[in-house]
Amino acid sequence: MTTSTDHELAPSALALRDVVARQVAGGRRLADLFGTARGGDLLLTAQVAGPGAMTTLEAVLSAGEASYPAFTPLVSAAFWYERELHDLFGVVPAGHPRLEPLVLPADPRVLPRHAVGPGLFTIPHGPVRSGVMESIEYLVETPGEDIPHLNLRLFYKHRGIEKRLEGVAPADGVLLAERAEGVASVAHAIAYCQALETISGTQVPWRAALVRTLHAELERLACHLDVIVRLADGAGLAVATARFGWHKERVLRLTDQLSGSRFGRGVTVPGGVSAAPRMAPADILAAVGELDRQLSGDIRLLLGTASFLDRLRRTGPLPPARASAHGALGPIGRASGCVEDLRQSRPYAAYGSLGMTVSSRADGDALARLEVRADEVTAAFHLIRQAADELAEASTGSLRADCEPLTGRAPGWAEAPQGELLYDVRVEHGRISRCRIRPASFHNLVLMHEVFAGDILTDFPFIEASFGVSVAGAAR
Amino acid sequence: MWALRGLRNGVVTTRWPSRPDEYAAATRGPAAIRAGRAGAAAAVDAAGLCPTGAISVTGQGGLRVDQGRCILCGRCVTGRPDVFAWSEGPGTAAVTRAGLIMPSEETPEALAEVMTGLRQRTRALRRSVHLRHVDAGSDGSEEWEILALLNPVYDIHRLGMFFTASPRHADILLVTGAGSRGMTGPLRTTYEAMPHPKVVMAVGTDAVSGGIVSPSYATTGGIGGTVPVDVWLPGSPPSPFAIMAGLLLALDRLASGGDHQ
Amino acid sequence: MTGYGAVLAAGLLLLAAAAAADLVAGPRRPAWRRAPYFAGAAGSACLTVAGAAAAVGQHVTLRTSGLLGVVAAGARTLFTQIPGLAADRLSGLFLLIAFAAATPISLAFASWAAGPDGPDRRGLGTGYALALGSVAVVLTAQDVFTFLFGWESLTLAFWMLAGFRRREPGNQASALVTLAFGRVSGAFLLTGLLLLVTRSGSLTLAGLASLPAGPARSTAIVLLLAGFAVKVGLVPSQVWLPRGYAAAPGPARAIMAGVAVNVGFYGMWRTLALLGPPPAAVIDILLLLASATAVLGIAHAAVQGSLQRVIAYSSVENTGLILAGFGVALVGAANGSRALIAAGLVAATLQVIAHTAAKSLLFVSSAGLQAGDQTDDLDCLQGSARAAPWSSTGLAVGSLTLAGLPPTAGFVSEWFLLEALMQQFRVPGLADRLVLAVTGAAIALTAGFAGVTFVRLVGLVVLGQPARDRGPGRDPGVAGRVGIVLLAGSCLALAAVAPLEIRLIADGLSPVVPASAVLAALKSPWILQPVFAGFSILSPSWLWLVMPALFALVAAFAWLASGRRLLRVRRVPPWRSATAGVSGRDSYTAFGFANPTRRVLAAVLHTRAEVTRMDARPEADEQEQLAHVEYSSDVIEVTEQYLYRPLRRPFALLVQQAQRLQSGRLDAYLAYMLIALIAGLALVTGMH
Repeated sequence: MTTSTDHELAPSALALRDVVARQVAGGRRLADLFGTARGGDLLLTAQVAGPGAMTTLEAVLSAGEASYPAFTPLVSAAFWYERELHDLFGVVPAGHPRLEPLVLPADPRVLPRHAVGPGLFTIPHGPVRSGVMESIEYLVETPGEDIPHLNLRLFYKHRGIEKRLEGVAPADGVLLAERAEGVASVAHAIAYCQALETISGTQVPWRAALVRTLHAELERLACHLDVIVRLADGAGLAVATARFGWHKERVLRLTDQLSGSRFGRGVTVPGGVSAAPRMAPADILAAVGELDRQLSGDIRLLLGTASFLDRLRRTGPLPPARASAHGALGPIGRASGCVEDLRQSRPYAAYGSLGMTVSSRADGDALARLEVRADEVTAAFHLIRQAADELAEASTGSLRADCEPLTGRAPGWAEAPQGELLYDVRVEHGRISRCRIRPASFHNLVLMHEVFAGDILTDFPFIEASFGVSVAGAAR
Repeated sequence: MWALRGLRNGVVTTRWPSRPDEYAAATRGPAAIRAGRAGAAAAVDAAGLCPTGAISVTGQGGLRVDQGRCILCGRCVTGRPDVFAWSEGPGTAAVTRAGLIMPSEETPEALAEVMTGLRQRTRALRRSVHLRHVDAGSDGSEEWEILALLNPVYDIHRLGMFFTASPRHADILLVTGAGSRGMTGPLRTTYEAMPHPKVVMAVGTDAVSGGIVSPSYATTGGIGGTVPVDVWLPGSPPSPFAIMAGLLLALDRLASGGDHQ
Repeated sequence: MTGYGAVLAAGLLLLAAAAAADLVAGPRRPAWRRAPYFAGAAGSACLTVAGAAAAVGQHVTLRTSGLLGVVAAGARTLFTQIPGLAADRLSGLFLLIAFAAATPISLAFASWAAGPDGPDRRGLGTGYALALGSVAVVLTAQDVFTFLFGWESLTLAFWMLAGFRRREPGNQASALVTLAFGRVSGAFLLTGLLLLVTRSGSLTLAGLASLPAGPARSTAIVLLLAGFAVKVGLVPSQVWLPRGYAAAPGPARAIMAGVAVNVGFYGMWRTLALLGPPPAAVIDILLLLASATAVLGIAHAAVQGSLQRVIAYSSVENTGLILAGFGVALVGAANGSRALIAAGLVAATLQVIAHTAAKSLLFVSSAGLQAGDQTDDLDCLQGSARAAPWSSTGLAVGSLTLAGLPPTAGFVSEWFLLEALMQQFRVPGLADRLVLAVTGAAIALTAGFAGVTFVRLVGLVVLGQPARDRGPGRDPGVAGRVGIVLLAGSCLALAAVAPLEIRLIADGLSPVVPASAVLAALKSPWILQPVFAGFSILSPSWLWLVMPALFALVAAFAWLASGRRLLRVRRVPPWRSATAGVSGRDSYTAFGFANPTRRVLAAVLHTRAEVTRMDARPEADEQEQLAHVEYSSDVIEVTEQYLYRPLRRPFALLVQQAQRLQSGRLDAYLAYMLIALIAGLALVTGMH
């Protein structure tokens, strides 16, 4: 596991902004921007990622400085990060185009309209949505059928997980990390534990890495199947919805059989895994093989149903230029030409030794995102089979190494089903002093503003489902 | 094409509760004290074992587990398997908050009174119930488990329960999440928008007590302070069988009390 | 002059008195403001009675003596009888329809004129009286000269009404367009009638029928139908209706659109009675144009932002519906099937009646709604039920009638129309059958979109949430309320007594088709059928009994099932997904409600929508300061864009050439007049 990060401290926030802007203009992407309170000062940290490497750039805002020059006019991807900074730390990014509250409740009167024209009105969609869905509000500014503009209100689900993690023992922190984004528990646990293992210099045993990989891929299957279920449901394909729902239930039950939890919670612990899988590798292979055969057939049929594809083709297109300028992550980015997958570019767990291909498309519409997810499902089965084979060979070996981080700071990452997940954990005296969680959902959700080109209200559920974003992760 | 495909694998729907289901029987519930071990308080480092504070010592020195705070992390079960074990089966819901505490702290008379009140409200709903779900700051997994009720394996429609989009048509309100401050108002509005008689079910440990994400500046320690809760269902997240059992408990279509002892 | 002739004369005299009252006293004296309109109301009532008498077969004639008689006596060689006014059954029917609507309109007009929005100078009352008088003259004319005289005065009256508020932007052009199209229709009529007069040698309308069949007769029929079609607004001459109607003030629109438009239909019915059907190709063209009119009319009505224009375009749509029924009658006449003629004419006449009542009601009500703000933008008029309850109720009843909802009169007439079109399988020719089928489909489409159009009016304008800056509407006074009640009552009652209506129509249509054929539409005293037996039946009278009974039954059941606690409610805010609120409008605007129609009918409306990025505008108000996206949407009137606009240049060139004749020199003008006279004499003597 390589830790390919650089670390630089800029003399001021303005210098930091210029360095970041220069790097982003040179082809890299902004991956994270957050603050850490240090006494009365604020430490601004920016993570800029390039292919296979990530640089950490920091600057200190002293106690007296209430504002700093905003990054957003030069680096458009910093839009939501700076609003979050403003909400949680109170600093004002001077020159930010729309500094409205993001994660803290806002007075609706101070959220003005952004589109003008005849007969425009705003349909508030949420937070209590029509169906079993997570709470988020979409303000659709529409003249009746078209959607010229869309605004999001994210603050409903803000739980303050990062603050809750401060002062917690590292072993307990895994429990919180798993529940930051409940549908990607394994990925969060892996990223968090990876950061702790880097701090304490622990090497995770090979068997543990394989078990982590196995559960991460099962989780990816479940998330992608959830997206497919939502898309089929939106299109009214009752049999497809039922069959894919059945497959997803089988994946969750398989995870339950292996680990005792349907979401793979409690498997990953700092230093390794908590227990061996409760099924023999041969049984795992048999169950997965059966699932693969039926699931692949259903996906093939779904991607051949003309009426379904019609709803997705050219719906919610994300232009590749915009995707690469923003640094779109996960299947959304890969469907718009941003071909990067952490499992290949910065391998972790057992991915460095297992073979996989990264799929991508260039259209960027909902159909491309579905096709990328379908390819990842196939790749996931391949990885699970490899992991099970390796587990059968490495039948003896420890599952857990000692991991007692005392003081230090390290990043952790994982390719969650939604995309690149970043952690930045700081431990002091055996307790977590700051744990930054940046799920891919937070980075990608802001792109919802940009994908409504000529779509109408009935396309909305498809666009939302094809994004596959977890609101709990975005709001944390 | 799809119609033929749908007939391929036969019937996958469970027959629970009319017939036993082995996955349902093996459902893992919150941690429970093994029979007869409630007095072993002195041998247990209660505070250290449980990260949410579910395990505590009573005034008389006995052991006390608040299942409403259990997030199923398993530390107590792996640390002291002689004292603690998982509760098995889907019947983990209770109609009072006190009903989730072992050993039981409520009297049979109080329980009967609550059940009578609940029965009166749900008397007319027996075979046609409409559910409305509100997410009050969950982590996303409880929504998956509630949505799983609609897949062909659980198929809640066969029990006469349906999901509805409008709270005006709803009888039972399912609330998930630790009660984030942003959702306090909307949750209250949704509750007010439902016509009487209505039943509120707190789904998941986060909703019952705040789970591990509370205490926090942005959550309110569960939804009990925002809306009056009738059925408390612990679990992180509770499995679909447990949710079904909780709904049937609310409708008095299941033996009440569960198997807590 | 018979007894009812005296009533007819009294009516005309009262209208003349109304005009005089307006000219002499004018609106400056408050006591006299209502006078012209009350006089007009009384005159209309007399004319209604005369029309009713004529329709049931009474003798109603009015001979003129005096100046006209002297002229006639001097030209006895040309005239076979002294001209006068007389009403036969068909005229009587249309007199009844037109003036039964004109009476409540006049009452409402009186109320409106006395209010603060009334006219501030002379001319409106005169125009109003002139319009009504011209309608009476046209309907009772017995000879060509009187007919054309009445027609041209009607055009003049329209110009006076449409041009009354010339100062307001756009009204000057609208008035001129109204005048121009009125003259065009007059020109067509003049040419056709002249052709008939020269060929048949008779100046009376009855005598024109003696012309034998041939190219002259067919050409004349086509010219006459074209003239009447321009008057009622058949494609492509429908462009003047929205402009003309919207430009006229207050209830004058009701006179124009509800009363005066019926002369066009009367003319067509009379042409069929006197001269028979046009050639088969022309009938098919007429049917196709009627369906195009209906679809175009309702497509534009559905997406307009101004209340008056919605109602005006609905007139265009109704023209299409009525002419579709008339087309069925023409097909029947061409094939010699009396039953089909009866079916088509009954459908068309029922639609004329329903349209007259509903359109008058709509324009009268909209005058009351618009009063407060002088704006008729639908978004500003939202939620008028509290501000102006009487006008809003009138608007609602009129909308439901034109949308064709049971149990209104519009439902009966649309049912009849669709049933008549469905008889296409009885027609022998394939071309006719295809055209009838296409027309039927278009009319059904129109009926669907009519629902969408009028739901917007009822749902948003009448029942919506009032805008915050809505001024108070002004409900009319007692007279106006009586008018609205009469019109709304007739919209509803005419459905309940539909069989009686059909008996009256049977009497009235007897010059065109024997009454026995029309009476076949009555299967039994209270059940209707589309003239042909065994096809379909409807009983609006029974509907009027059953629907309220069912409603009462359901209400009683609900009251019992709720444990007699039906009205004990707990009030909570409406469910809006528990949102925290938005700034600005958060519910459907009138524009937004019509947007799906704009997209679905994009082929007919040529919708163009565009979203552009724009820079932030710091000078905008607080709501729009951070706006950075601009949305715009446009629809195009296809006939204007593709027919009239390209003709502008050649027409302008032609006018420029013709302007050379206007040299301003008296001797040139005298020379032109001499040349015209010699040419006319040569033509007339040559034709003999």
